[in-house]
Amino acid sequence: MEKLVEIIAKSLVEHPEEVRVTTSKHEDGMVIELRVANEDMGKIIGKQGRIAKAIRSVVKAAAINNNLKVSVEIVED
Amino acid sequence: MESKVFTAKTVEDAVTDALKEFRVLRDEVEIEILAEPKSGLFGLLGTKDAAIRVTKIDKPSKNVTAIEFLENVCEAMGIEVSIQVEDKGDYTYLSIQGNALGVLIGRRGETLDALQYLLNLAVNRQTGEKPHIILDVEGYRDKRRETLERLAGNLAKKAKRTQRSIVLEPMNPQERRIIHTTLQNHPYVSTASEGEEPYRKVVIKLK
Repeated sequence: MEKLVEIIAKSLVEHPEEVRVTTSKHEDGMVIELRVANEDMGKIIGKQGRIAKAIRSVVKAAAINNNLKVSVEIVED
Repeated sequence: MESKVFTAKTVEDAVTDALKEFRVLRDEVEIEILAEPKSGLFGLLGTKDAAIRVTKIDKPSKNVTAIEFLENVCEAMGIEVSIQVEDKGDYTYLSIQGNALGVLIGRRGETLDALQYLLNLAVNRQTGEKPHIILDVEGYRDKRRETLERLAGNLAKKAKRTQRSIVLEPMNPQERRIIHTTLQNHPYVSTASEGEEPYRKVVIKLK
């Protein structure tokens, strides 16, 4: 799942080398944390969060396909 | 890569000539200045033209970028697929074939629309072009269109029978357009869209 988030994020941003994806396990599933360069935040969130929503929707589908529970969080440092 | 030397009175003139000859924009070429122009003595003796080498930058093609993106995404999702591309003039039709692709479609095509949106963004980001790619999975888009056309017809009849307006569930712009187009010449009803995205919905009203 981490790989999927990474592939999508890297193909959307101006600075793919600054994309960082980490996973933490919680009782109710995995949380994938996505970090990108500051100026790329807009490219990953989109107007009214449209891009972020699309990413979550694709990741959710993949998670269901693999019997996992996954949520994606975009982290601003 | 295509590359050529151009000379002119000034560097700017040489660049203009090059862009005209290659039929490209300024950001689609690399320019190396070989010689600055010299105006010479009294503008007569020893004048020298500017010389530049202009190289066309090869940008990855839209189709190749799109297929690569999809293959990588599907692989990471754990789905085996094969992808077909058709150029339809004003848009590109990408169709995915494989096993158990329901997961790629999602509820009412939600996942497919999300993937199509990300695909268009990714191709735009990587090629600089504004692609118009329609993503389809095993003929889903056509089937959905037929379903919506049938639904529109049935609801128009219902509106007429009950003498009441009917509000449909929220749909994306493409799906709303199918409803509008299906009923645009209907003798008894007219259609309009109401509300804000992403909850915008079609209302079927009596004429």
